[in-house]
Amino acid sequence: MLTTSWWKINSAVSGTSSKDMPQVIAWLNDLANRFASIFLSPIAWLPGWLSATIVGVVTGVLMLIVFKYTSHQSAIKQTHDQIKANLIALTLFKDDVRVGLRVQGRILAGAGRLLLLSLVPMLVMTIPMVLILGQLALWYQARPLRVGEEAVMTVQFVSTDEKAVNLVKLNPTDGVALSIGPVRVPTKHMVYWSIEPKQSGLHEVSVAIDDQTFTKQLAVGDGFMPVSLKRPPRQWTEMLLHPREPAFSPESSVQSIEIGFPDRDSWTAGTDAWLIYWFVISMVAAFAIKPLIGVNV
Amino acid sequence: MTKSHSSASPITRRELLATTAGLASSCFLGGCQRASRSLATKVIIIGIDGMDPRLCRSMIKAGQLPNLAKMAASGGFSDLGTSCPPQSPVAWANFINGSGPGSHGIFDFIHRHPHTQCKPFYSGAETIPGEGGWEIGDYNLQLDFWPINHKPPDTELKRKGVPFWDYLDARKIDSTFYDLPSNYPPSPSEYGYHRCISGMGTPDMLGGYGTYQYFSEDTRAGGIEEGGGKRSQLKFDNGSAKAVLVGPENSMLKSPKPVQIEFEVHRDVESNAALLEFQGRKIMLKPGQWSRWTQVDFGLSTPELLPTQYVSGICRFYLQEIAPNFRLYVTPINIDPSAPAVQLSEPPDFIEDVSEQLGLFYTTGFQEDHKARTNGVFGDDEFLRQANIVLEERLALFEYAVNNYEDGLLFFYFSSSDLQSHMFWWNEEENAKHPSRSAPEARKHHEYVKKLYRRLDKIIGDINDRYGGNATIFVMSDHGFANFGRQFNLNSWLRDFGFLNTRECRSILVDCDWSRTQAYGLGINGLYLNLKGRERDGIVEPGEEQEQLTRKLIARLKAVRDFNGEKVIRNVYRADEIYSGNATQLAPDLIIGYARGYRASWETVLGELTPDVVTDNTAAWSADHCADALEVPGVLFCNKPYKLESPSLIDVAPSVLSEFGLDTPSTMNGSSIFRS
Repeated sequence: MLTTSWWKINSAVSGTSSKDMPQVIAWLNDLANRFASIFLSPIAWLPGWLSATIVGVVTGVLMLIVFKYTSHQSAIKQTHDQIKANLIALTLFKDDVRVGLRVQGRILAGAGRLLLLSLVPMLVMTIPMVLILGQLALWYQARPLRVGEEAVMTVQFVSTDEKAVNLVKLNPTDGVALSIGPVRVPTKHMVYWSIEPKQSGLHEVSVAIDDQTFTKQLAVGDGFMPVSLKRPPRQWTEMLLHPREPAFSPESSVQSIEIGFPDRDSWTAGTDAWLIYWFVISMVAAFAIKPLIGVNV
Repeated sequence: MTKSHSSASPITRRELLATTAGLASSCFLGGCQRASRSLATKVIIIGIDGMDPRLCRSMIKAGQLPNLAKMAASGGFSDLGTSCPPQSPVAWANFINGSGPGSHGIFDFIHRHPHTQCKPFYSGAETIPGEGGWEIGDYNLQLDFWPINHKPPDTELKRKGVPFWDYLDARKIDSTFYDLPSNYPPSPSEYGYHRCISGMGTPDMLGGYGTYQYFSEDTRAGGIEEGGGKRSQLKFDNGSAKAVLVGPENSMLKSPKPVQIEFEVHRDVESNAALLEFQGRKIMLKPGQWSRWTQVDFGLSTPELLPTQYVSGICRFYLQEIAPNFRLYVTPINIDPSAPAVQLSEPPDFIEDVSEQLGLFYTTGFQEDHKARTNGVFGDDEFLRQANIVLEERLALFEYAVNNYEDGLLFFYFSSSDLQSHMFWWNEEENAKHPSRSAPEARKHHEYVKKLYRRLDKIIGDINDRYGGNATIFVMSDHGFANFGRQFNLNSWLRDFGFLNTRECRSILVDCDWSRTQAYGLGINGLYLNLKGRERDGIVEPGEEQEQLTRKLIARLKAVRDFNGEKVIRNVYRADEIYSGNATQLAPDLIIGYARGYRASWETVLGELTPDVVTDNTAAWSADHCADALEVPGVLFCNKPYKLESPSLIDVAPSVLSEFGLDTPSTMNGSSIFRS
């Protein structure tokens, strides 16, 4: 399956124009979702700090390996050596201002060269990293609702369908009850409901306009579950940010469905903090492992 | 946080065995609630503002307060002499200092500066504006670190003297106070053994003592500012309206202006629901529903190149009606306990620790929104509901307090009994006719007070179960309660007898002729002479003239009768006779002790005059305690027998100190109730 997705992406990237970008993102998300369903599933049963640490270490090491094989290692080593030599020169000729300034210029130039030499690996890693971060955000950016905890669900309609706001209905299910609403806001083409989960699990909430049904995932439980904040419109930026559910097509009356999940409170695996923690841990891991696999960074 | 430390009292073998047996039995009986296992001395004080001894006695007799009855039987129960005047800030300061108002300098809710001729201020704390600063454009930046020609604004605790916890602190005995009145800003702990969260007197983000905001379609354009609240008009267009929440003043501006936050209100009349869009958050409500606490970030604009400063407040929304008249109430914007903009506790991070466990909660001193009820924004049921929300929060805080208590002193304060009594109390045996409610209604409302007493009794039962054998437990109130059916305008009375001029004067703060005024009233019980050399425009010569005037006023005030011949004033007290100490500078000259059923009129408090002197009190606030101190004593229950026959508030602190083996300090006038 992974091979099929990768083949689709290759074909799309090589043979289509930029307006097909959402389709490319959809395939990439599909690939990332399949990948994450295998490799990130232990997050569900590990303590948050531990899973965040393991993910940070593994991604840090992987980034380092990718860096090793996608960068010009000998050029980086040479630049490092030149910088070191210039630093020694700086200490040796500290009384000579002219030499000192020239050496400092060389150090700066060396640092700039290192940056240039990192561009290729960074470009190679950008897409995988965005996809990985998108998947991690599903686990850490918000927590699932608890049974009985209310949340606001927002449905955004296409601006050309003025009747949809008045026609839409929330379909009742066993797992989710309507607590308040709807509040229809025609000026914004939006409808809001307050919903209350009744059972733990991964539910689907659905709204209907006439005979059309539109669904949205709803995560309910106490531990870690992938939480999709929004089923996005077909815009590639939104799709990258919300990778778990398929985007609505531009022709659809419903353009997005969003649920206000609560923040997760944790210094390591909580809302927003997880990103800083992941960055620090991955950097520490990469620098710690660097001498072992002989990478010049 | 400080660690627990051993107290001064030694542990006897018998106490040790009793403690062990108590713990074993509580475990055996399945007590899942936590009780400290520390063997050091424990004293617990439950402060129940306004708990009345007469009502307690009648309910104990009726078997409705079994736990307090048990306490009274095993230890003692008596009236607790209150302060003169019996106002909460005065009374709690008496408790804090173990001494009278002459020691702490708080004589009323309202004080005045004599040199500004009766400019009023809140007696417990005063904000002193800053001086100097760095002027850039429209801004005047207060640089806290800059030592020259610059003084940042400051809030000063006006209570003087030595609080009794200082003596415990010096002996390394832990003391923790939750919601302590008359202690904002919180007084510092020199040795780090005292912790405290400020109670009554703590302001909201707008700097007052609780300003709600109310949005409705029927409010007139331009809004209304009323005592304790702001009303704004909402205009709906296609189901949506824009509203503005008013926040604190940006004090960095040369001319400070309040920070405003725009939010959107959407309503759906068909489904009877509304959505508030507020700083990126969505809050959905149906009529009668309260939102959870919402954090509000107020951005204080700064000069260019400097980053915008943010202060955090919290509020809750209460949707009253969708249509035809959309009505939305917003609580006063409380200081956020998880990130307080000003110091609310000692040590400063104590309240943050509590908030980390409990979430957000009310931090203003007056939490039950009596102003919303008085101004008609709330009905009785709505006020009761809001008061119960406050009570539930306090109970959660109480549980936290007890669970985190090891030894030393624990003080916890309940305000509900006071503010619910103000609104719902009516003793029909004293006055059959309530000024604004029918007899069945008044009875029904009074029943709420009794229900609250029963609830508090259960809490006391719980604390007795947990600590009864191992701690000295005091249950005390600062004063009792009385009906407030008729009100007396002191300034109007002074005007009618020619002591205050002109006859056309509407307010002593606006149009009083001080050159012809000998005396004036300000605050609830205070009467001041317009004394030469003390007041800015004083005319009464100190000495003989002052003495004659004082005697004349006392005699005439004591003779005041209502239309039915009832005595309005029970007694008039001379400050020079009842107050002693180093902090009497701001004391009124006379303190009016009203008879039961009477109180100073609403207008009197801030110096307004009315055509009639004695009038009906038609406000929702229909019970009070600002009468003669002898009419409204508080209660004292203790689980340990005590000897003092007529204890008063100033005796509690010496009693607590004696439990820790400390003698009564010379700063206190009270004495331990455990010594005869």
